[in-house]
Amino acid sequence: MEAYLGIDVGSVTTKFALLNKYSELITDLYMLTQGKPIEMVQQGLHQIKQQLPKDVDICGVATTGSARYLAGVIVGADLVKNEITSHAVATLQYAPQAQTIIEIGGQDSKIIIIRDGVVIDFGMNTVCAAGTGSFLDHQALRLNMSIEEFSQRALTSKTPVRIAGRCTVFAESDMIHKQQMGHRTEDILYGLCQALVRNYLNNVGLGKEIKPPIVFQGGVAFNQAIVKALQEELGSEIIVPPHHEVMGAIGTALLVHEESLNNSNGSKFKGFGISEITYHTSSFICNACPNQCEIAQLSIDSQILARWGGRCDLWERSPSSQNKEIE
Amino acid sequence: MIKIGIPRALLYYQYYPMWQTFFHELGAEVVVSPPTTETVLSSGSSRVVAETCLPVKLFLGHVLSLIEKCDYIFIPAIRSVQSKVYNCSKFLGLPDMTKAVIPESPPILDIDIDINKGKRKLYQAIYQLGRHFTWNPSKVRRASIAAWQAHLNYRQVMSDSGLTPPQAIEEISGTPKPEPKTHSSNPTSPQATVAIIGHPYLLYDEHISYRLIHRLEQAHNRVLTPEMLTTQELESAIARLVGRAYWTYEEEVVGAGEHYLKSGADGIIGIMAFGCGPDSLMMDMVRRQAARLRTTPFMSLTLDEHTAEAGVVTRLEAFLDMIYRKKRKQVEICV
Repeated sequence: MEAYLGIDVGSVTTKFALLNKYSELITDLYMLTQGKPIEMVQQGLHQIKQQLPKDVDICGVATTGSARYLAGVIVGADLVKNEITSHAVATLQYAPQAQTIIEIGGQDSKIIIIRDGVVIDFGMNTVCAAGTGSFLDHQALRLNMSIEEFSQRALTSKTPVRIAGRCTVFAESDMIHKQQMGHRTEDILYGLCQALVRNYLNNVGLGKEIKPPIVFQGGVAFNQAIVKALQEELGSEIIVPPHHEVMGAIGTALLVHEESLNNSNGSKFKGFGISEITYHTSSFICNACPNQCEIAQLSIDSQILARWGGRCDLWERSPSSQNKEIE
Repeated sequence: MIKIGIPRALLYYQYYPMWQTFFHELGAEVVVSPPTTETVLSSGSSRVVAETCLPVKLFLGHVLSLIEKCDYIFIPAIRSVQSKVYNCSKFLGLPDMTKAVIPESPPILDIDIDINKGKRKLYQAIYQLGRHFTWNPSKVRRASIAAWQAHLNYRQVMSDSGLTPPQAIEEISGTPKPEPKTHSSNPTSPQATVAIIGHPYLLYDEHISYRLIHRLEQAHNRVLTPEMLTTQELESAIARLVGRAYWTYEEEVVGAGEHYLKSGADGIIGIMAFGCGPDSLMMDMVRRQAARLRTTPFMSLTLDEHTAEAGVVTRLEAFLDMIYRKKRKQVEICV
C-alpha cells in the first residue's frame, strides 16, 4: 500500500499524519515537542512504525512547521513546506467550500483567506504571541488546572468579565486584578477567551475579509470555549474539522503526494531506522565577516549533515565539504 | 585632499552619484561606509535616545563606522524636493540628530534642500556648501551642474537597463564587483513575476532586507522594482490613486504599488520599516487598493531588528506558493 507521511514540527507540538494514496488518513500522532524537536521526530517515527499496517510503502515524506528544515534533514524529506500552504491544502481537502481558515497554534496564529478554492491572502501574528496556545497553557497552569478543565469551566460562565487582551503581560495583570476583586473563575476564564479572540481578530485578522464558511483548526481548536467565543464574535458558524490538530501534517503529506505524481525518482525517506541514530547538534559563531552569525549544525558522529543560521550561503552551500569549524 | 564621508544608508541610494560628483569636482575625495552588518546596526541602535525608526538607527550606525575615516561627514537635510510635498521629520532633523547623539562624529557638512523656498535659496544653500572647498562661485556652479548631470545619468541607467541602485552605482563608478549581478540573473522563463515596493534604503540593504531580492531570484522569479518605472509612470499612478503625493518618495511605495497592481506583476511585496510613520500610511493605501481590485496578491513585510530570518522566510514561501497555485489554477480553468 502506498503511503505518504507528513510531519509538522511546531514550537509546542509535533504532529504526524500518514495518508494513503486516496488521501485518507491511515494514522496520526500528536505529541509535545518539549523543546526537543529531533528526539520527538525520532520518537514519533518509532511510534508510527508500531501502528503501521504490514504492507505499507512510504512513497513520500514532507515536513512543515517552524522546525521543518531540521526535521527535513533528519528524515530525508522529499518536500519541505511552510505551514500556511500546508494548512490551506489540508483544509481544502476536507472543506472545499471554505473561505476563511483560522489557525491558532502553540506560538503562532494565522489567518488564510480563500476564494474559489484558491488562497488569495494570509496573515500571521507579528512579534507578539498574545492569544496563542502557549498563553492559555500558561494561564491554566497559573490557575492550577488542566487546559481541558479550563475549557469546561469557561463554558459555564454566565457573565464573562472584560479582560484586556492586547498584551499577554497586561492580560495577566488584568486577570489577577479581577481575581482579587472576587470575580468567579469561570467568568474570568471565558473573559480571557473573548479577549484572545478579540486580539486575534484585531491583530492577525486586521484588514482581512472574513467570510463563512470559517474553518478553525490548530491545537487551540480543542478548546470549546474559544470556539464559542469565536462564534459569538464573528456571528457565524465555526467548523472545526476532524483531525484539526494535525492539519499541517496532513497538508504537507497531501502536497508530497501531489509532487510525487510529477516525479518518479522515488522517495528520499531515510527509513524508520533513523529513530535509533544519535544526532548531535552544536553551534558556533562564524567570524568570516562582522555579522557574526550563529551557525547551528547537525551531525552524526563527526559527519556534518546540515548547517544553517547564516546570513549568507557560506555554511549552507555544501555542508559535507566543510567539515571544519572556523574558530 | 579633504575626505568626505557618506553613510551607506537612507538617501545614499537615491543621490550618491550626484553627491559624489559634486565633491569630486570640488577636489574632495569621497568615502562611503561599508555595507551594513549586524555590528553597524547594533552600534546605531545603541545610540538613539528615544525609540526611533529602523532606518535612522541604521544611518547612525553607518555614521559611526565612518569615524576616523574622513574629515567631514555629509548629511543633507532634505526638506522637500517637489513643491508642497513634504519629507518625514526624521530626514529634516538628520544632521542635528546626528550631532546630538554622536558628538564624536567628524564635523558634519549639512545643506538644507527645500524647493518650497524658491530657486534662489536653493542656489544659496549649494554655494554655502561649496564654500568649504572653494571661494570661487563659478567653480561651485560648475560642480553642481556636473552633479545634476550625474544624477540624471544615474536615473537613466536604472530605468534603461533595469539595474538596481547598487548595481547602477557600480556601473557608473566603473568598479565591477566580482559577485554576480542579481538582476541580470533574472530567469528567462520565470515561475512568477514579483514586484517589490518600498524605499531603496530598505530594498537594497541586503542585511536588513534579509536578501529578499536574492531569495526571490533564487526561487526563479523575475523581480520588478520601483526604479524600473519611469517618473511618468510613477506620477500617473499616484495621480490615479491619491490625486497628488503628500510625502516625498511616495512614488516608491504608492506609485509603484498602484502601477504594479494594475499591470506586470503576479504578486507584490511591500517592504516597510518598523517605526516608520509615513510608510505605515502609504503601505496601507496600497493594501486597501489591492483589497479593492482583488487581482494581484499583496503582502507587506515590516522589517525590524529581529535576527531570526524565519519570520521573513515563512511568509515569503507562503506568498510564493499562493501565487504559483493561483497561476496554476488559472491555467487549469483555461484548459
